[in-house]
Amino acid sequence: MSEQTGTPLSALATVGHATPRIDALERVTGRATYTADVVLPGMLFARALRSPHPHARIRRIDTARAEALPGVRAVITHENGAVWWGAGSIAGGGQYNDELKQITKQRRYTFNNPVRFVGEPVAAVAAVNRHVAEEALRLITVDYEVLPFVIDPEEALEPSAVKIWPEGNLALNTRNEAQPNAVRRGSLDEGFGAADEVFENRFTTAFVHNAQMEPRASVAHWEGDKLTVYTPTGGISNCRHDIARDLGIADENVRVVCQYMGGNFGNKNQNQDADLIAATLARKAGAPVRLELSRKEDWLGMHGRWHTIQRYKVGVKKDGTITAIQSRAISGMGGYRKNSGGVSGLELYECPNVESTTYPVYTNRTSSGNNRGPSDPQGFFGIESMMDEIAHKLKMDPVEFALKNMRKPSAQLQYTNYSLDECIRRGAELFDWKRRWRPTPGSDVGPVKRGAGMSFMAFRAGLGRSSAMLRIDARRRYTLFVGVTDVGGGAKTTMGMIAAEELGVPLSQVDVVSGDTDRCPYSVGESGSRTTIMTGYAVVEAARDLKRQIAEHGIPAGNDVLTASATPNPNSGGKVRSCFGAHFVEAEVDTELGAVRITKYVAVHESGRIMNPLTARDQIRGAALQGIGQALREDLLYDRRNGQPLNAGYYGARHMTHLGAADIEVTFIEVDDGFGPYGAKTIGESGIILGPAAVANAVSNAIGRRITDIPIARDRIMGALA
Amino acid sequence: MKTFVNANARDFKEAATLARQAARDGKSAAFSGGGSDLLGLIKEGIAAPDVVVNLRSVRNAQRVQDASGGLTIGGLTTLDDLSRDGAVRQRFAVLAEAAETVATPQIRNVATVAGNVCQRPWCWYYRNGFPCFKAGGRTCFSPTGENQFHAIFGGGPSYIVHPSDLAPAFVALDATFRIAGPSGERTLPAADFFVLPRENAARENVLANDEVLTAVQVPAIARDTRTTYNKIMDREAWTHAVVSAAVVLQMDQGVCRAARIVLGGVAPIPWRLPQVERLLAGQRITAELAARAGEVAVEGAMPLPKNRYKVPLVQSLVKRTVLDLATRT
Repeated sequence: MSEQTGTPLSALATVGHATPRIDALERVTGRATYTADVVLPGMLFARALRSPHPHARIRRIDTARAEALPGVRAVITHENGAVWWGAGSIAGGGQYNDELKQITKQRRYTFNNPVRFVGEPVAAVAAVNRHVAEEALRLITVDYEVLPFVIDPEEALEPSAVKIWPEGNLALNTRNEAQPNAVRRGSLDEGFGAADEVFENRFTTAFVHNAQMEPRASVAHWEGDKLTVYTPTGGISNCRHDIARDLGIADENVRVVCQYMGGNFGNKNQNQDADLIAATLARKAGAPVRLELSRKEDWLGMHGRWHTIQRYKVGVKKDGTITAIQSRAISGMGGYRKNSGGVSGLELYECPNVESTTYPVYTNRTSSGNNRGPSDPQGFFGIESMMDEIAHKLKMDPVEFALKNMRKPSAQLQYTNYSLDECIRRGAELFDWKRRWRPTPGSDVGPVKRGAGMSFMAFRAGLGRSSAMLRIDARRRYTLFVGVTDVGGGAKTTMGMIAAEELGVPLSQVDVVSGDTDRCPYSVGESGSRTTIMTGYAVVEAARDLKRQIAEHGIPAGNDVLTASATPNPNSGGKVRSCFGAHFVEAEVDTELGAVRITKYVAVHESGRIMNPLTARDQIRGAALQGIGQALREDLLYDRRNGQPLNAGYYGARHMTHLGAADIEVTFIEVDDGFGPYGAKTIGESGIILGPAAVANAVSNAIGRRITDIPIARDRIMGALA
Repeated sequence: MKTFVNANARDFKEAATLARQAARDGKSAAFSGGGSDLLGLIKEGIAAPDVVVNLRSVRNAQRVQDASGGLTIGGLTTLDDLSRDGAVRQRFAVLAEAAETVATPQIRNVATVAGNVCQRPWCWYYRNGFPCFKAGGRTCFSPTGENQFHAIFGGGPSYIVHPSDLAPAFVALDATFRIAGPSGERTLPAADFFVLPRENAARENVLANDEVLTAVQVPAIARDTRTTYNKIMDREAWTHAVVSAAVVLQMDQGVCRAARIVLGGVAPIPWRLPQVERLLAGQRITAELAARAGEVAVEGAMPLPKNRYKVPLVQSLVKRTVLDLATRT
């Protein structure tokens, strides 16, 4: 096979075989110790007081009565316990690092004055038990000067809007300029001039919370100058560095431990304010402290996916060739900027004339930040809805339109392998697209109508630096040390499988030590779905080194051990490395009840070699279900007159339960592009990207009306049909 | 969460007396059956009773008994027990169907019949601590706010919808509610138990602070009567009705002798549709008549800006539920 399509797989002994998680028993029997289960001798319990106002200046905060309550050990506020939380607001919203922290002017502290959203911490209390801590919160008096607020990001850009930051409501970039992010190539004038038809539309997407099962908790424990933080984090190494930087102490004086985690979805990358608040309270009280957030605090106090308003103008020729794309998007970031606010998707299309402008905007709402494919599902919903509409208007099959216009490899753009076209073709076939898609939308007779929609994607699968250590003892037991946490994707198991494969031993002979910065070397952490590729490749190299040592020295005897380590930093030789996928959805809409049922969902992915079919399939299924939830249900509603959130939590946000879960049929196209561990690529985030677009397109195809705002809830469907 | 005192009651009279005593001592009291609603309200700071009168210590009030063809349902019967009871399933399907749509299995295992009927509104303004009528304030935030799930009938000055699934079923079955107070018992038709906000905007029913719903009596129904509960939800479990319909039809070879139709999720009380009942009585139920029933059902609806969709939704719900039940074989 050519380089562009990759090579077929060779069979392996462990990798590629469906393998239950190595810690499944602990998890399902309740023996797994999650952060909120950690109990240390003399540990105190902490609770945070949070702002009831969307925007207010604190004139005075009186903690005397709380401090006097028997059992209270420490009370902190913005006056005596604020720590500059670097990851809480980042200039430009880029990949956070030491330099960006220094550049950032619009800084977030663990306690801020003014407060900029409902649910922002104002004070925290550590006490002998949680009841005393909660009682103490009630005794804190805060004198607020309530300020005008803005909830809507479009209104926030109006000159008359209240300024949430002195520089205005357009978030500053890395040069601290209030400028939107703009990408331009070619000439729009030429592009639209060459078009036979020009289409325009506006789409909106809602804020959706990550909704991971485990709410935030953090346990902090000082022993002299050494701080140990037990915290749910997808990246212990980065979390340690972030905590050390924010507290102004050396990395080696911070230990971060996360043995088990109850879900991440981007809500638990880096350090969070809870870690810093727990550490500050623990130092002040001279005892370990566990800070826990309630579900509602977690919903409002952490972050979710940024909501967007997207406008597109697209020029096309009669034959369906796209000649120009102009986009203008506004992203609601809340009171602080935890991420880029980017809106992706345009990069899928081969178009010489493009102008894309994105405005990340502050509002007095809960912060927006990382959420599984941070900028993807919302952007793909917009552009893929737009393209679906254009295909229909041109009387073209959307699959043909996609195959015609999608970006393909070229001399300037080389991939390690490329299989997007194959994903689309295979998906269309498995789904029976020609039969399910309605050339005339809404043409089914009767109140219950079906329709089909599709969407496709590419997601980065780049290589990078990570580490692993491996040891063998005289009993031929192998111990693998990797700085990963299993956030749900099965990383501990995958790392063990890779070691077993390379060593040529059964998985049962490998112990995996993970989730502890004092015991494990650096890992990139579970953001960007990178663990398998990066840390997995380090495991391969460490195992190779250990095999060489065993070949040279033999199996160790007595108390001897052999150890190996590796810190590779591979690259793909200037070629783009991506995973690819296409989702095909059939939706059934009961037009009299405004109800949508997903009657078929086919997901075809090429993620290189699949390490563990069991967990890989469930990653795609779970992600697709989240995408459906985003398409049809989830939102965080605010009352516009008083800036209060109304439906925080699983009940209010209508999160899908197992009863509502559609059957997601997952197919992997497996190839080896010669990079990564055995050709593995990214999976975890890629599966969520396509759901909103494909579901929305299917609903439009069923009912014959384009609903341009997600979630496509009952009121919107019935409103569109009224 | 505010600290409170727990007081176990041996019987309902003692429960009522404990509540009255608390009031005399200048304290607030609240009754707790399963506690699935009250404890949530307390944790969220929406309710802050000084005394929680625990009803789980009351004996012989958690079962369903046959009563000359009808039923006497103890107020402390769990929703799970109610939905599994043989007599209920066989003769009063509307009750079993309503009970099994409530919340989740975990909640149905503890939540009680009386608690379901007396639960506080799930309006998001009330549940988020807004100083609305239901919280003792003097305003309703929904008419000019987010009113997607609010009332289209009987609203004003509060626009909550009654959250109970059992309540429409009890009204449809013409049940009688038994109420205990410190000085004795009284009974009321289910329909008279609930009050509109224009009568009392702070409360959803006639219970005084020291009164407790102890049992529900469901009268016998004619043998050729069929019943059902149809609940439209925004997800498959753990949510309240967007709209719902409890329908009781006495059928005689395709002809409807008598009908009772009560809606949930549309009004601050279970909302009976007498005009639809009259329309159906004595008629053969055809698709055309069912469609007409749907149209009549929404006559007089006063939707708010964001809940207009509830009007066609109720229309379809009534049409389908009546036709399905009448033509069921």
